[in-house]
Parts: sequence; structure tokens; C-alpha cells
Amino acid sequence: MPMQTELLHGTLEVLILKTLSWGPMHGFGIGKWIGQLSGDELRIEEGSLYPALYRLEKKGWIDASWGLSDNQRRAKFYRLTAEGRRQFLKNSDIWSSFAQAVARVLSAKQQPAS
Amino acid sequence: MSTPLWRRYLRFFGPDPAADVDDEFAFHLEMRIEELRAQGLSPTQAREEALRGFGDIQHVKTICRTLAEEREHAMRRTQWWSDWRHDLRFAVRQLTVSPLLTAVLVVTIALGIGSTVAIFSVLNAVLLRPLPFADSDRLVFVYETWRQFRSGSASVGHFHDWTEQGTVFDQTAALTRATFNLSGGGEPERVSGARVTPGYFRVLNVPPTAGRVFTEADLTGDARVVVVSHGLWQRRFAGDLSLVGRAITLNGQTHTVVGIAGPENNLTQFSPQLWAPLVFTAEQRANYGSHSFTVLGKLKAGVGRDAAQVDMERVTRGIAEREPRNMEGRSVNVQRYDDIILGDVRTPVYVMLAAVVIVLLIGCANVVNLLLARATTRGREMAIRAAIGGGRWRIVRQLLTESVVLSVLGGIAGVGLAYVGIPLLVTYGPRIVPRLQDAGLHPEVLWFALAITLVTGVAVGLVPAIRASRGNLATMLRDGSRSSLPAVGRDRLRGGLVVCEIAVAVVLLVGAGLFIRSAWRLQHVPLGFDTKGVLNARVALTPRYATDDAVADAFRRMLEQARAVPGIQHAGASTGVPLTGGGPDASMQVEGKPFDLGTAPSPAIRLITDDYLEAIGMRLIRGRTMRSEDMAPGAPPVVVINERLASMAWAGEDPVGKRLSTWTHAPDVPEWREVVGVVGDVRSFGPDTPPMPELFLPYTQPPPLAWAAFQRSMALVVRTANDPGAYTSSLRAAVRSVDATLPLYEVLTMEDAIGADLAGPRFNTWLLSLLAMAGLLLAAVGIYGVIAYFVTQRTSEIGLRLALGATPRAMLVMVMRHGAMLALTGIAIGLVGSLAATGVVETLLFETTPTDTPTYVAGGLLLFAIALLACVVPAMRAVRINPMRSLAES
Repeated sequence: MPMQTELLHGTLEVLILKTLSWGPMHGFGIGKWIGQLSGDELRIEEGSLYPALYRLEKKGWIDASWGLSDNQRRAKFYRLTAEGRRQFLKNSDIWSSFAQAVARVLSAKQQPAS
Repeated sequence: MSTPLWRRYLRFFGPDPAADVDDEFAFHLEMRIEELRAQGLSPTQAREEALRGFGDIQHVKTICRTLAEEREHAMRRTQWWSDWRHDLRFAVRQLTVSPLLTAVLVVTIALGIGSTVAIFSVLNAVLLRPLPFADSDRLVFVYETWRQFRSGSASVGHFHDWTEQGTVFDQTAALTRATFNLSGGGEPERVSGARVTPGYFRVLNVPPTAGRVFTEADLTGDARVVVVSHGLWQRRFAGDLSLVGRAITLNGQTHTVVGIAGPENNLTQFSPQLWAPLVFTAEQRANYGSHSFTVLGKLKAGVGRDAAQVDMERVTRGIAEREPRNMEGRSVNVQRYDDIILGDVRTPVYVMLAAVVIVLLIGCANVVNLLLARATTRGREMAIRAAIGGGRWRIVRQLLTESVVLSVLGGIAGVGLAYVGIPLLVTYGPRIVPRLQDAGLHPEVLWFALAITLVTGVAVGLVPAIRASRGNLATMLRDGSRSSLPAVGRDRLRGGLVVCEIAVAVVLLVGAGLFIRSAWRLQHVPLGFDTKGVLNARVALTPRYATDDAVADAFRRMLEQARAVPGIQHAGASTGVPLTGGGPDASMQVEGKPFDLGTAPSPAIRLITDDYLEAIGMRLIRGRTMRSEDMAPGAPPVVVINERLASMAWAGEDPVGKRLSTWTHAPDVPEWREVVGVVGDVRSFGPDTPPMPELFLPYTQPPPLAWAAFQRSMALVVRTANDPGAYTSSLRAAVRSVDATLPLYEVLTMEDAIGADLAGPRFNTWLLSLLAMAGLLLAAVGIYGVIAYFVTQRTSEIGLRLALGATPRAMLVMVMRHGAMLALTGIAIGLVGSLAATGVVETLLFETTPTDTPTYVAGGLLLFAIALLACVVPAMRAVRINPMRSLAES
């Protein structure tokens, strides 16, 4: 059962940027990669994915062009821009330290001393 | 489910975010359905499952579309700005490529814009800004008319009847000009002021700077109170607020300052400096025969000038029924305040504005021609731009950017010129122009400058830009930059521009010519007296000189002192001297002839001393001048009249020895005086006003209450052998020896008085001539440019002709003929245009009609000569063309 996770905008954006750092990909592929990489823990809903892609495009972190998919269909491919790469490097650090901090809190066994 | 073909083509017409979102989502659903089918779901299940991921798919589409459109928008804006930045950078680079050409263009535009902005600042300050009074459009003057005089003073009786019986006024006021000797605390000085009824400040409704203005309470008793003008307060009292409540000495009497008026009350340098209450006696209120008050009114809201006129006529008819004798030939005239205050300056200001706009237009035509010439040499560049995908609009925009950059540079320089020029206009402009001193680079003037700059930029750039964008790529590239075929259309356009330039230059030249001719005539009008070597200065005695004898004695002693000064040949005095203001007049009865008040002559009355007519230099025509015997006590009553009065009263007769009566104690009891002499007419009101009838009485024989009417004031006039200005201190000493508290004022030589009188027309002429010179110069540059271009274009043709045996002289004639044709066409159009245009200046001209033939001929010839001169240089170049080289080059 894939987890129905409401992801924070920022988290999803970082995930998208990460995915695109390997190369151009269309929306369907992005969603699928994120799902696979999370061990099918994260099922990205299309209703969140596409607005996030358009937001990133508007911010100029990614841009898009039409191309052909593996099965020879016309698809809109997204690609990291230079600005997007810069933002990804910046935000991924922030996000991993944030996630580690959250994990530490959640896995704590003792009540902190007051 | 693939993208319909037509939709792909749609993208040729620009991005389509809505279609993109649809396509993208369709692709996603397709892929997802395939994936789910592969997991074994039925088509319907797979589709439902795929759609579930989107939630409300329409909502998601809307969000994505909106984001895409916003992005599209932002990109377009960025593109737009970067295009402009690019255009701008390119334009600046283009301008630096040929700095000389750029400088010529900028200077031309700067001159046009600068002069236009300067004149507009005057127009703005003088005419456009509302008068500084609340509801100033409701202010009117109410005049009594008399015969042809449309704006005469009113009697006290009229003022009260108009006020009480009229139904159109909120407020009314009466005023009369009065001057005061202000003494104590420094040099005594003569201050020009007014006596006003309390309504005056309510009509104008300007709050006082300090203290209060008059109220009805100031009319009772003999409370001597005054309101001091802002200007006088600043100048004489150093802006000291403690002046309010203090006492100052006016005409030797103590007055209390109750308030300082707001600065708005002073529209010109001739506005009152001081106000005292005007109090009417019961006797004055019943007077309908003595007309010496100016009546101001503030109309009720919504009442127009015409309605007020009707109402005043109604009241005045009532007066005429009660006072038929006093109302002979009289009626009423209501005039808007701004028409009276600004009416005389409207035409000159607008004429000047028209003149500077013409200069600007001529300048613009030159700029267009130069840009056209440059556009030709840049034909290749434009063709390449078009070839590499610069749309027509992009090329137009690029060229417009260049011309706007030019005009902005010119505009900035022009505003700089205006900044320098406006103070000159204010300093040398006629002083009678109200609010001229307010002219400056106010915000509205700067907005105007910006608007005119942008309009200029677009106007001069548009034609060359459109022409350039129309360039044919193939022919341009094939022919190279030096097109061997003359571009006939372009030549015609350039020729047409020059013809227009010359035409408007002719209008300007003819206009200036008319002013010059008028000013010359004005300058050479015989004034009727000898102006050289004459100094005059006014003295007004205080009420301490209570009797007629005391007044006469004081002036006699002053003149005795003056006559003792070496170098002074004649010394006399008169209550009124030519060119320095009017004076009261009175109707006159001739002995032995029927008297009709409505038609009787009404000469200006002057009280004079012996030696005055000699001092001022009037010509004696018949009889004798005033002698010292006439001034002796008990001498028989005598009078000297001028020619104009002689011809009115005794046409065809010798007036000497005849008798007349004027300004008597009782209306119906004549007091006869014998005419002893006739003097030549003098243009007392300046060269542009015909002589008036005048009558001179010995100052020792004043009519009843005359000294009060003349404010106990006379102008001392001395005739000197050399520079009259040098005798000012002698005159001052002469006055001080009699009474040290008396100020000497209006001290000026007759030459200066004439100069001041002619200052307005002289300034207009000077300014218009300057503008005409500028226009002429620009037109010459324009025709020079076109002919030079003409020769350049035909270098190979001329070379060929010379090689085939044509004489250089024939080539010279060909070029000159081309220039002459352009010039003549322009001049012909311009002369016709002048006939139509110069009518507006008719009222500004003196004894010169707007169709004055010599001016037209001279203007046309001058322009033709200058135009030919401008053609000579390029024509000579045509002659010197080396056939071999020009052919080799082409």
C-alpha cells in the first residue's frame, strides 16, 4: 500500500529537482522515479506534481520543451536550468539536515532534561 | 490518442499554455493507463484509477494554466525590457558613431524646444495659471462708458446704486488710486496705493499675511488706518511682523497699520503698495457727475458677465431717468476681471508661442531631412536586420528609439536653455505684463517640456523609420550602399519638407518684418516736444500745505532753487507731463457758443508754472506762452490751449483772445478765461495714442478743489544743456531746501520715459526678430542640406555629363535652378500663408497693416537671397566634380 502523503511544497520541489539532476524527464517519469526511489513509500499524486512542476518552471528553476518519449510519443520534457541546479544544491542540504533532525526527534527514547 | 496535427501548427503563432497543459495531461493519463492495464486492470478501472491521482483534474489544469500564463507574461515583459535596453544601447552607439551629426541634431532640437519651453513658461505664469483670487472667474469691473470710451471711471452715486439696486453681486467695491508720502525711518518715499471701500478685500478674498483688512468700522470717525502690501512690508519694513499695530507717517499724518495684505494682491509691479479706507460723504453719495472711481464686483455663483451687463443696464437706465443731465452719452459696461487684467497680453504671448513653435517646426524638418539622409546610408544595415528576422515593427521601433534618444538629449539641453532664457524674458520683458515674474520651470512647464520632447522625437523619427522599414532587401543588398539610381520618392519628400520649412520661415520673417516696421514708425512719431536734455521728477506736498497759496508758494520756491543751479536752462512744473500718466479732464464751455454737455470738448486740465512750456519744449503756435506776470496775485484769468482743442472749439478761427470756461465752482455759472496762446499737440499718452485736447492754467489760478484732485503734486521739469540725468541730486536738494520730508519720485529723463513707454513693442520686436533670424538660419541649413544631398546623389550623373561635354557652368545652373525652384515654391506658399496668418497681430501693430507690401517683398527677397547663398556651396562642389574619378568610383 503506497503511503498517501501530503508532502510540503518545498519537499516535493526538492525531490523533483533531484530527479531532474540526472537529466531531462517528462512529468510521468518524474512521478514514477520518485515513487521507485522511495521504495514505493511515496506515491506522488498528479494533483500535486504538476502544479509543482509549473511553479518551478515559473520560478525559472526548470524549463520545458516538447520531445519524444521512449515509446515515440510527444511528451513535455523538463530540464534543470543553471539556476535550478544552484537552488537544488542549496535546498537539498537544508532538507537533509532538516529530515535528520526530524528523525532524531522522532526516534528519541528519553525525555529531554529540563 | 495523439496530438491533433492542427494544434502543432497553432504553436507557430506563439505559445499556447492551455493546449500545452491539455497535451501534457493527456500524455500522462495515457502512460498511466497503459501501466495499470499491464498490472491487469480493465480499461475502465485503469482509467478511473489514473484519473484518481489527479483529484479534481479540471482544478489542477486551471492551476497549471494560470501558472503557465503568468510565466509567459513575465517572460514577455522581460523580453520587452531587454529589447528596449538593446534598442537604447544600439541607439546610443549609433549617435556616437557620427558625433558631429548628433551634435547638429541635438542643438537644432534644443533650440526649438528650449525657446518653446521658455515662452510656454511665460504663457503658463501669465495666462494659464488661475488668478490668485478665489472664484476669480466671478470677478468683474463695472465701468461707466462715455461716448467712445468703453471703460471709464464711475461716480459715487453710480457705485451705490449699482450695489444697492443690482441683483447680481455678492460683493462690490470702489477704489481710486492714491499716492502717499511715506516718511520716517529712512529716506522719505512716494508710495503708490489706493483708497478702497471695505468690500475690496472681500471681492478679491485673499487672506492677509498678518493683522486684518478693513471692515465697515474703519469708515466711521477719522480712524486713520492702512493695510500695507506684502511687497512694501518686505522692502521697507524688512518683513517685521511687529509692523501691525504700529504707526507710520503718511502725507505727514500718523496712520496705524492694521494689516499686511497677502502677496497675491500684487499682480504687477504697478499694483498698489498701500491701501487706505475710502470714505464717502453724504454729499458724494448723491454725486453722479464726478467720475473717478473704479468699481469691482464679485458676481453671485452662476451669474455670467452678460447677465450682469443686463442687470447693470437696468439700474443705469433708472439713474439716467433721475439724472438726465449727468447721463448724457453715458452707459455701463461690465467686463470680466481677467479680460481687463490679461486681455492686452494674450495676443502677444500667443504670437510669441506661435513664433517659437514655427522655429521648432523648421528645426524638426531639418532633423527629419538629416535622418532621412542617414537612413539612406544605413539602407544596408536595415536590409540585413530585416533579413535576419528583425520584423518591420522592430526596425521602426529601433529607429524611433534613436530619434527619441536624440530628442530627449535635445529636450534636456532645451530645458537648460530655457533655464537660462526665462530670467532674461522676465528681466527684459515689459513690466506691465502681470505675473511675468512668476515665469519659471514649474512642474507643469516641465511636463510640457517632456510631452513636446517625446512628440518631437516620434514626429522626427516616424517618417524616416517607416521609409527605412519598407526597404527592399534584394535591391538594397544588390545595389550597395551608394545607390546609383536616385530615390525619386525620397527626393520629393525631402524637397517637400524644405518647401514647408521655407514657407513657415517666410511667415515668421514677414511677421517680424511687420513688427520691425511698426516699431520703427513708433520710434519716429514726432511727440510734439523736445525730449532731449529734459529731466522730470514729481513732488507731492502733504496736507500741511492747506491753502492754494501755500501749495503754489512751495513749488515756486523749489523752482527758484532749481533755476539757480548752473546748467539748468529752464525750470518749470506741471501737474501732468507727457508720457507719465494722465490727469483729470473737465468739460469746457466756449464763450458765445451753445453749450451741450454731451458733445462739449473735454480737455485734460494741467496746472503749469511759467517757464514750463519752455522747459518741456512745446512749440508755440500762436499768441504767447505763460509769463511770470500771469502767476502774480490778482493777474487776469488766462489759459493756453493745444492745437487739438483749438480746432475742436474754434475750428477755422483764431482762438487767441477768445474766452472759455471750465471746472467752475457752480455747474451753470461760467468763469471766463482768456486764451493767450496755442501750443503744438503733444502725444501725452505715448507715440501710439493720438494727441488729446489739453488746456493749461497758471498754477496760481487753480480751479476749485483742484490741488486736492491733483493730490498737491507737480512734476518738476528742467531743461539742461548736457546730460539731464546728472541733475537729479540738484533737484532733490532744491526740494529738500523747501521741505526735507518730501520725497522726489518718478525721477526720469524724457528719453527714459519714451524708452519705458516703448519697452513693450520694442521687446516684442526684438524677440520676434531674434526668432525670425533663427528660423531663417534653420531654413538656410535645410535647403543647404537638401541641395548638398542632391549633388551627392548625382555625382556620377554630373560626372558623366561633364565627360560627355557639358560645361561646368551648365551643371552649376542645374543645381542652382533646383534650389531656386524649391525656394520660390516655399516663398510663394509662405507669402500666401502670411496673408492669412498675420491678421492676428493687427492690434499689435502701429500704423502698419498686416498686408504691408514692402514687408512682404522684403521678406520674400531676403529669404530667396539666403536660400540661393545656401545653395552656392554644394553647387560649386558639383562644378568641381572630376568626371574621371566619379565615373571610376561608380
